[in-house]
Amino acid sequence: MNKSAESTTKKLDRVFNPRSVAVVGDKQALGYMWLRSLSSFKGKVYSVQIDPQELPGIAELGVQNYLSLMDIPGPVDYVIAAVPRAVAPRIVKDCIQKEVGGVCFFTSGFAETNTEEGIRLQDEITNLARQADLLIIGPNCVGVYNPKIGLRHNPIQVYGNGGSVAFIAQSGTHATLFTLAGARHGIKFSKSVSYGNAAILDSTDYLDYLRTDEDTKIIGMYIEAVKDGRRFFRCVRDVAVRKPVLIWKGGESEEGARATASHTGALAQSNIIWQTLIRQCSAIRIENLDEMIDTVKALLYIKPARGDRIGLIAMSGGQSVAITDAFAKAGLKIPLLSQSSYDRLASFFDIIGGSYRNPFDISSSFLMSENALSNLDNMFDVMEQDPNIDCIVLELFTIISPFSQDLGKPDPLLDTISGFKNRSKKPFMTIVSAAHRETLALEVRDRLMAKGIPSFPGFERGAKTLKRLVDYYRFRQGQYLN
Amino acid sequence: MANKIITDALKNGRTVLTEVESKQLVAEAGIPVIKTKLAKSKAEAIEVSKKLGFPVAMKIVSPDIIHKSDIGGVKLNLANATQVGRAYAEIMAAAKKANKKADIQGVSVQKMAKPGVEVIMGMSKDAQFGPVLMFGLGGVFVEVLKDVAFRIVPLVKRDASQMIREIKGYPLLEGYRGQEPANIAALEDLLLKLSAFVDKTPQIKEMDLNPIFAYKNGAVAVDARVILESQA
Repeated sequence: MNKSAESTTKKLDRVFNPRSVAVVGDKQALGYMWLRSLSSFKGKVYSVQIDPQELPGIAELGVQNYLSLMDIPGPVDYVIAAVPRAVAPRIVKDCIQKEVGGVCFFTSGFAETNTEEGIRLQDEITNLARQADLLIIGPNCVGVYNPKIGLRHNPIQVYGNGGSVAFIAQSGTHATLFTLAGARHGIKFSKSVSYGNAAILDSTDYLDYLRTDEDTKIIGMYIEAVKDGRRFFRCVRDVAVRKPVLIWKGGESEEGARATASHTGALAQSNIIWQTLIRQCSAIRIENLDEMIDTVKALLYIKPARGDRIGLIAMSGGQSVAITDAFAKAGLKIPLLSQSSYDRLASFFDIIGGSYRNPFDISSSFLMSENALSNLDNMFDVMEQDPNIDCIVLELFTIISPFSQDLGKPDPLLDTISGFKNRSKKPFMTIVSAAHRETLALEVRDRLMAKGIPSFPGFERGAKTLKRLVDYYRFRQGQYLN
Repeated sequence: MANKIITDALKNGRTVLTEVESKQLVAEAGIPVIKTKLAKSKAEAIEVSKKLGFPVAMKIVSPDIIHKSDIGGVKLNLANATQVGRAYAEIMAAAKKANKKADIQGVSVQKMAKPGVEVIMGMSKDAQFGPVLMFGLGGVFVEVLKDVAFRIVPLVKRDASQMIREIKGYPLLEGYRGQEPANIAALEDLLLKLSAFVDKTPQIKEMDLNPIFAYKNGAVAVDARVILESQA
């Protein structure tokens, strides 16, 4: 690491873990979004606002207001600026004079507008900041989220317990959506950042910082463009061998063919080279927000997959066929079990209308049957011990709730599944699709998640996620994929 | 040597190297190439053919003609001096017909290579990520099916071995239906040599080694095309 990268890392540490934050320009029209987001912040919060009409609203939130950054008595580690764009250069000058750690510009209207004025203003703040070695996050972004210290960019983001997942997003909306959705899916964040136009800091700087961040074990990225492709490539290659890196490249649709005089040049289109980079670095290719959620959840809650042979348990004949199709189409194998497993199954499997090749069809009347739970437990153990099976998938459908509706009491089925998940050494996931009530499916998924059992909303999503996981672990070990 | 070829071409305002020049560069990268000689006249073509041994292949050498076979500028399997002489005349006529003003340096003469599995390797530069290497099976596989794999330079050994196995046509390299298998380790070695060469020769903008014949005990580049960055 060169000296400038080292100092960037040090400064970013101050920005990601500030002890004091100042919001410049929060206002009623924004619903005081920034100051309300910071109601959870463990350190000091200051407001800078010169419009007298805004002052009562700020006072009501219990935040001390100043007329200038310079008037704030103590040091300021992180500044959030929501000012009109024309004021941005002045704010940058103030930040430099105040020696703040870094400034995030929520303000938009810069180079992204592709207008002369926008480009000029972005150049101006960039040059000012570069000369003084000031970090700018954005502009045109929502900046940093660090739940452990209550630093948020949206008032409904969770805080308190930090997690192990970091997210680097060019888009502020994606940063907000993923961190909000994460809470529902058992995904807790160490840090996230949206970085917009990347005037000073690009995705590579954040990735390089998170490389050594001890709280961060998994890194997701949403990227539209990178500035220094060679540096990005080297950084991803370096980080992805230490922690899983998931890359969602926005704007993947094919560019027009370039003028070229070789076969190689004609075939090496930009989107193909992005896919190449992701693969070559052993990163994980993600194509949308659902895949980001599913894959991060899988990395957190599913044990590393050692192979692609899947054992399936479904709740009816029709679903057995459908789940097999989905997992096979995703490129996974659904093999027969060993003979000793079938001998064992024959000794206890007494479900009328069920069958047990692979998938095990436990039939829809299963939940009503007398030996349901011990049967399920035995089936789990057969799958667990069978040498032909690498990963285990259980389908739960929601025509009626599979769990007792008395939420106060422990549910025996949920406990059986949870007991297996805890003792199993094989990757395990559940599939919970909605029938007529999305809310019921959601409740079932939440109750599973509360026990650390990952569920996926539909066979295809579950299958593709498991395939991505299997490929990831194999490729990392230097195996070949086709 | 590589530098001299490159400097000379650029001095003459050329960014497209001839086959003979391209092959000299490739040979310098440590990649086996079919020995190819320039012949500037019919008599010279016959003399060179006799020295190399029949059958030979002959191709037009002109910086103004890139797609040689499209214009009839390639003749294969020439078995004797008479055939070489006739082919020389035909190539010259075809070249003049295709481009009256073309600067024609002569023909390249090479011994016909023993047929093997045809593969292609190449390099181009991505606007964001710089030089990338391509690997695929030659002919219809690359042109129609686009069954190719890429890696960003510099490649490590794992990259070379994974990219070869990534293409759908990989079983053909393993010896499909009794065909002799290709030496995968030799192909990996070529990719790594190409990567190292490209890495230290930034003046090259694009290149194709097409085809390379892969054999049980090695591989050899049969044709090569190098395009240089124009001087800014």
